[in-house]
Amino acid sequence: MKHFIVFTFVMLTSLIAFAEDGIVRGTLIDDETGEPLMYANVLVEELGTGTVTDLDGMLSLELPSGTYTLKLSYVGYQDLTIETVEVKNGEINVLGDIRMKEAGGVGLEEVVVQAKAIRTTEGAIMSIKKKSPAMLDGISSSLIKLTGDANAVEAAKRVTGVSIEGGKYVYVRGLGDRYSKTTLNSVDIPGLDPDRNSIQMDIFPTALMNNLIVSKNFTADMPADFTGGLLNIETKDFPEEKIVSASISLGYNPAMNLNSDFLTYKGGSTDFLGFDDGSRSLPTGADAAIVPTPISAITGQYTEQEVNNFVSGFDPNMASEKRTSFLDYSASVSLGNQIQLGQENEGEQDKGTLGYIFSLSYKNDYTYYDDIFYGEYQRLSDNNIYELNYANTQEGQIGEHSVLVGLLGGIAYKKAASKYRLTAMHLQNGEKRAGAFDIDNNGDAVGQSGFVALSNNQEYNQRSLTNLLINGTHKFGKTWELDWRLSPTLSTSNDPDIRRAAFSGSSSLVSPGEGGNPSRIWRSLSEFNQVVKTDLTKSYKFINRKAKLKFGGLYTFKERDYEILQFDVQFFGGSQEFPTGNFNDILAPEVIYPTGNVYIQSGNISPNPNAYNSTASNAALYLSNEAEVLPNLNVILGLRAEKYVQRHTGRDILFAQGNNGNNLDKEKVLDALDLFPSANLIYSLSEDMNIRAAFSRTIARPSFKELSFAQIIDPLSSRIFNGSLFTYPDWDGNLEETRINNFDLRWELFQSGGQMFSVSGFYKTFDKPIELVRIPTQQTGSEFQPRNVGDGQLYGVELEARKSLAFIATSLQNLSFNMNVTLVESQIEMTDTEFNSRQNFEREGEVIEQTRDMAGQAPFVVNAGLTYQNPTAGINAGLFYNIKGQTLEIISSGLYPDVYLQPFNSLNFTFNKRLGEDQKTTLDFKVSNILNDNMERIFSSYNAEDQVFSRFNPGISFSVGLSHQF
Amino acid sequence: MSQKIKNLLLLVGVIAMSSLLFTACQDDDTGGDDPVDPTDCIKHSTNITADETWTADQCHILAGRISVEAGASLTIMPGTVIKGEAGTGPNATALVIARGAKLMAEGTAAAPIIFTSIADEISTTDITAGNFASPNLDPDINGLWGGLIVLGNATISASNDNDEDVSEVQIEGIPTSDTNGLYGGNDDTDNSGVITYVSVRHGGSNIGEGNEINGITLGGVGSGTTIDNVEVVANQDDGIEWFGGTVSVTNAVVWNAGDDAIDTDQAWAGTLDNFVVITPTNSCFELDGPEGTYVARHTITNGSVVAGNISADASLIDTDNSTPVDMSNVHFLAPLKNDNDAWLTFTDDELDNTTFSNITFEVTQAELGNLMEDGTNGLPVGILNGSTPQADVSGFNWTWASRGGALNGL
Repeated sequence: MKHFIVFTFVMLTSLIAFAEDGIVRGTLIDDETGEPLMYANVLVEELGTGTVTDLDGMLSLELPSGTYTLKLSYVGYQDLTIETVEVKNGEINVLGDIRMKEAGGVGLEEVVVQAKAIRTTEGAIMSIKKKSPAMLDGISSSLIKLTGDANAVEAAKRVTGVSIEGGKYVYVRGLGDRYSKTTLNSVDIPGLDPDRNSIQMDIFPTALMNNLIVSKNFTADMPADFTGGLLNIETKDFPEEKIVSASISLGYNPAMNLNSDFLTYKGGSTDFLGFDDGSRSLPTGADAAIVPTPISAITGQYTEQEVNNFVSGFDPNMASEKRTSFLDYSASVSLGNQIQLGQENEGEQDKGTLGYIFSLSYKNDYTYYDDIFYGEYQRLSDNNIYELNYANTQEGQIGEHSVLVGLLGGIAYKKAASKYRLTAMHLQNGEKRAGAFDIDNNGDAVGQSGFVALSNNQEYNQRSLTNLLINGTHKFGKTWELDWRLSPTLSTSNDPDIRRAAFSGSSSLVSPGEGGNPSRIWRSLSEFNQVVKTDLTKSYKFINRKAKLKFGGLYTFKERDYEILQFDVQFFGGSQEFPTGNFNDILAPEVIYPTGNVYIQSGNISPNPNAYNSTASNAALYLSNEAEVLPNLNVILGLRAEKYVQRHTGRDILFAQGNNGNNLDKEKVLDALDLFPSANLIYSLSEDMNIRAAFSRTIARPSFKELSFAQIIDPLSSRIFNGSLFTYPDWDGNLEETRINNFDLRWELFQSGGQMFSVSGFYKTFDKPIELVRIPTQQTGSEFQPRNVGDGQLYGVELEARKSLAFIATSLQNLSFNMNVTLVESQIEMTDTEFNSRQNFEREGEVIEQTRDMAGQAPFVVNAGLTYQNPTAGINAGLFYNIKGQTLEIISSGLYPDVYLQPFNSLNFTFNKRLGEDQKTTLDFKVSNILNDNMERIFSSYNAEDQVFSRFNPGISFSVGLSHQF
Repeated sequence: MSQKIKNLLLLVGVIAMSSLLFTACQDDDTGGDDPVDPTDCIKHSTNITADETWTADQCHILAGRISVEAGASLTIMPGTVIKGEAGTGPNATALVIARGAKLMAEGTAAAPIIFTSIADEISTTDITAGNFASPNLDPDINGLWGGLIVLGNATISASNDNDEDVSEVQIEGIPTSDTNGLYGGNDDTDNSGVITYVSVRHGGSNIGEGNEINGITLGGVGSGTTIDNVEVVANQDDGIEWFGGTVSVTNAVVWNAGDDAIDTDQAWAGTLDNFVVITPTNSCFELDGPEGTYVARHTITNGSVVAGNISADASLIDTDNSTPVDMSNVHFLAPLKNDNDAWLTFTDDELDNTTFSNITFEVTQAELGNLMEDGTNGLPVGILNGSTPQADVSGFNWTWASRGGALNGL
């Protein structure tokens, strides 16, 4: 609250802070490394006055209106003169990133540039990349401005080797979820989905982002638990100019919006804000060890009236209903500025600079799939029959209404050699889902009972993330820099009241042996993270060449609470038929016991086997040295040590029932001290050309859920996840981390105007990778468990090019083409269990080998884009294509063949135009999935026609947006 | 939450030192309340790992999924009442006889052994007095607890062969994490004990969609096992289901099964002889064949069937493609139409490996063809019209079905 008052105060004062003078701002950076240059001298030639850059390399000058020439000088660098710097009353002229080149070699003559030429479009991102110690790719806020991307996912898909899954998750080089990591302001934030390691990126609006960087190889100052890529989102701190902007957009997908078939259900009054108002909360008494039922009424614990009251406490809405969906819409406002506290005149004390940022965004999306399909297919026992036999199919519709509210407030203060920053962020997301399916179960298939049924389901997924960052940066002299960060995060993901019911046959019968009992599930997850991080950097000279020593520490503590409570609707004798076929009749007052025969039974035991508490702590220390050991050869050697301890509190069903089962109480399930060496060599063939070589060791650790006794039934698919702590005859219950060796080699060429070309090769070895294994002894359902499987390896090639088409004809200078291609070959050794179960179902003519592709590893990823940029006309347009090769997702158990994610041809178009004389209004237009491709996963078996595991069509969507800078 | 806020404040306080900080926030588990049980009952909550005897002088409560583990033998005395606590999903209760364990449940016609729900007020006193019916529960109330599961080492034909061509799989209704749920092997004369004069009632808890516990589940049970005079009343799932194995069952009554009354899978190689099925809603016979390479035939003979208003997609007799079964002397009583005046179908059109002998239906010769699901194939040999029940119900006087009048006219 207190900082909010300060913030409000600062905002108000900023409105009256403008004098009749104008302001010039810019950031001085090293041309090669992109690092800010502090204490550089800035002289205004016309006035003979000047200033020095601050620790961000930022210069800020308040000048009377007029046109000036700025002379910049810095020891060891070529002098730079910026001409035609215009200053207008009450306005800020933002020069952008000003690059200074090191002196030496060619001579000391000064460089002269025009002020307008400094703001190149992709300059910011290129500056980060060119000579950075790690192989980086990224998107800067200026590029985001240019492309008009609305959220982090849209922005991330422009990065080399990145692929997007489900519109939410970002994967690098086609490696799966397990090998990706996301950080916010360089600190860990928890993933909201307990089934994923990655974080859904669609919840980060670009309005809050300064940049998005993907590191593809490890250096010692990074967390060691990533292999494919480390994605970091940096939020804004000191806006270069006053921002008061607002934007709105409308989206339309002919299959989804304004559709009268859209499915939904009666929710709560605050659904539009992304959280439930309590109407879906657990009914009173539902968490009792024994709930009121006719049975507990007979044994005397409850009265029949209490049974009736208890059942009546459950929301009787169980039908998915048709309502017309509205258009997608979003709106956001952003404010920001920096304020000079006190004049910097001679003799007067420097009171520092305050920066603030505030952003509020709101987004409303409707998704509707009118023909979504889920299938389960089996091989037949006769190995002469190739075609697959269906076991179960579900075909139907799903409607989803998603609300996202994002709130970011940040305040930053810098004075002399210190900078402090406090950022608070809250994201609130509510997804309301309703579905209706026709189920066809084949009694002739193994383990299936054979029936047809109609099901309805409703869910509400409520996620939130609250993050606080306190960050300080201090420079001591010109050589030492200290950066410390403290960042607590609280995240929650709750599914209050997942409802599902099915009627069998034409008679609308609830048949437990067929479509199953109607069920209600409450699932809750909360995770608290706290991160403390300190980095110290010392710049020094190594044989007269630049060198840098970096060391520091990190401590992370995470705690997760997870619980599932489940309830079944049951019948105390009598009819189980609902003649009207309305799912809302299942809990209608007249059928509730004792008036009728319906009651609700608890599937929960105390202590709950489907609940756990896990903690993990990671203490890390590192040392990294960067030095130009030979002319043009930069060597970065580092070593990181991580002491990781994971503890688990949980138990299996047997223990929970009072049996001789397993119970863990804060017991260590993982405890390891690992050393992660890294070596990065950068050889500059020329100023614009590098060769990079890198080796590093990284790790992939099991998640909380994987190292548990959790036994989680997916309410829709009925697939069961078993935690790895359960032992089996072929599994000792001891899930270990995967240790990975990474080798990288890259050649890169940078050209003017953001053009570049690179070729990379990489090789990785995986020691005991973890995969989700289908348990072959389960014949009547599908059970999975994460296990270490045989060793794996992969190698790949990556090509990237960004090229202006000016080389074809000068008239095409506004057009540029960019493309990146990643090709990967992966291989894993099968366990004996997998090999045997595959051999059992070997088809005639098929040869089963002991190796296969790694699960989750795509064989190729291609991104291609054609962009048009015309700054004078204020037009930016782009056509982007993305595809990921067929990827093994679920590993065969013999009976059920392998499941592959099929390539999705994603083609998107964006166009934006700045309007008005001052170009302060922007109109943008987007088309997504122009090719109208289907998202499809398939069962693939030798010599057999592919069968669909899941399929839906995202449709083509159009959106129009308008934003204005005040 | 307040604990977390405290930690947060602590952290903020220490940040100036910018040093590593160790914290812990752990919650204590709160214990649940134990339900109050009838004082004259023994509650069984742990697996049975050594020989044990349950006597009739006390009632016995199953507090969870209780397994008799390999090497142990559970003896249940005549007249004993065993009651399962209520629950669903992970909370479901059941008695599991694992591979290598034995159940010696030798009831008598005068003192049967009864497995039922905790809601059932029946007691040993009732049984001693000759009252075998539930005093308070109707014979159609199901799903109140799990059921009786017997597992053995006999051959099954499943799709999960190990190296030695032995199939071993997990029984439905128990998650694979409990290895007491495995069955199948290569000992066809395996002996899982003796089950006589046993009535299993009101069971069939749901543990997942379409995954319930049967009244009596027999998975890979060997021919050394004796099962004679058993009754299943009001089970939410199937009445009796065989998964492979070689065990034979004589003198069985299945009354009011929620799903299939008689269900066979994975090449059961035994005989069901002299039985009555009274089924209200679903298939009477759900007869499936092998799922692996091993093939064996089973026999179903001397039965009387009263079919209720079975659902539209269910059948009187439902065979899979080429189910190896020999059915003889089974009679289906009238009426064989449902509420919608539709004929109840009696079989699939795949009958290559199925033989029928003296399977009679209480219809006219002209109406017989209406029963066939796919009329174009014509009637299989051995399907006749007739009116004589085939089961000998004289020995079924001990059953609730008999006491409740459900066997009248058979």
